[in-house]
Amino acid sequence: MHEYSLAFSIFESLRARLAQPEMLPSRVTRRASRIKKIHLRQGELLVLSHEALKEAWRIITEGTELEGSELEIERVPVRVRCPGCGYEGDAKYLAEEGWHMRVPILSCPRCGARVKIVEGKDLAVVALTVEEEVGAS
Amino acid sequence: MHEIQVGFGDILKKQLELAGENYELLSSRGVRAFNVMGAIGSGKTTVILKLAEELRRRGIRVGAVAGDVAGDDDFRRFREAGIPAVNINTGDDCHLDAHRVHHALEDLPLEDIDVLFIENVGNLVCPADFPLGTEMDIVVISVTEGDDMVRKHPKIFAQTDMVVINKVDLAEVVGVDPQRILADYRKVNPHGRAILTAAKSGHGIEELLSALGF
Repeated sequence: MHEYSLAFSIFESLRARLAQPEMLPSRVTRRASRIKKIHLRQGELLVLSHEALKEAWRIITEGTELEGSELEIERVPVRVRCPGCGYEGDAKYLAEEGWHMRVPILSCPRCGARVKIVEGKDLAVVALTVEEEVGAS
Repeated sequence: MHEIQVGFGDILKKQLELAGENYELLSSRGVRAFNVMGAIGSGKTTVILKLAEELRRRGIRVGAVAGDVAGDDDFRRFREAGIPAVNINTGDDCHLDAHRVHHALEDLPLEDIDVLFIENVGNLVCPADFPLGTEMDIVVISVTEGDDMVRKHPKIFAQTDMVVINKVDLAEVVGVDPQRILADYRKVNPHGRAILTAAKSGHGIEELLSALGF
């Protein structure tokens, strides 16, 4: 249950960037209250409850310029690199049924050696949906 | 509405960086550290105490970090065994993180420690997401938790370096087949090591030590 602290980290980094307009495209900084959606990418190995993260976001943003904005979270497959044969790409997933969850296997799909995780444990803000002011160019 | 691409990088990157700093600090002092995870009551503390006992017999100096939501029971057990230890109370957080461990390292006499066991908060969900900067991640489970622990928490087992299946001497009493746990673990983690122990009696401790490279 660390969703609250993750939501807070997202909130802080977003606010830090809103305070430094040069770090964001001008359309975003014109009025921060117009951010409607924050698009996140979540590596599939990260244990994360979307429901809890969204609820934490609602609570944290209350009374701030980000109130009313929503998180949109996309799960992205795990990518791996094989130190043995040099393979780099999607991880293999457990094929068997009955696990009720996509379980990545840290084994090289090509040669079977143990692989390193390139992507799959991260949580990143990738895009913002902003509402343009009526009549704005 | 417009969608604007921004790149904030990884929210969890800070954790990775801090873990990297811990790893550097530990390596520079010649300390081998192990992150010991597992459910409440799986026997993490007992496994560590038994490992420490044998390591000290071999002249290897052991230290410990006890991570718990509240209380200092594990910490006191380490201290009573003569192990230099630091207690971390996470205060309702369900996992240790690299930042908290960093402070614990500041309070430990690292120059007098060769091997450091970091006992994580009893939990099989969140600790998997927070690297501490240790050499190896170990999960201790016990047969008394049932034979479906791997199936219930596949993500942590898929990533861990080693699993210790503890209390195997009770397997028959509780009607659990350790081989079934083992088979599930092999499926989600073909490269992880698995060691069967009954830590209280010392069974499997030698084998576990050699799997840890001692």
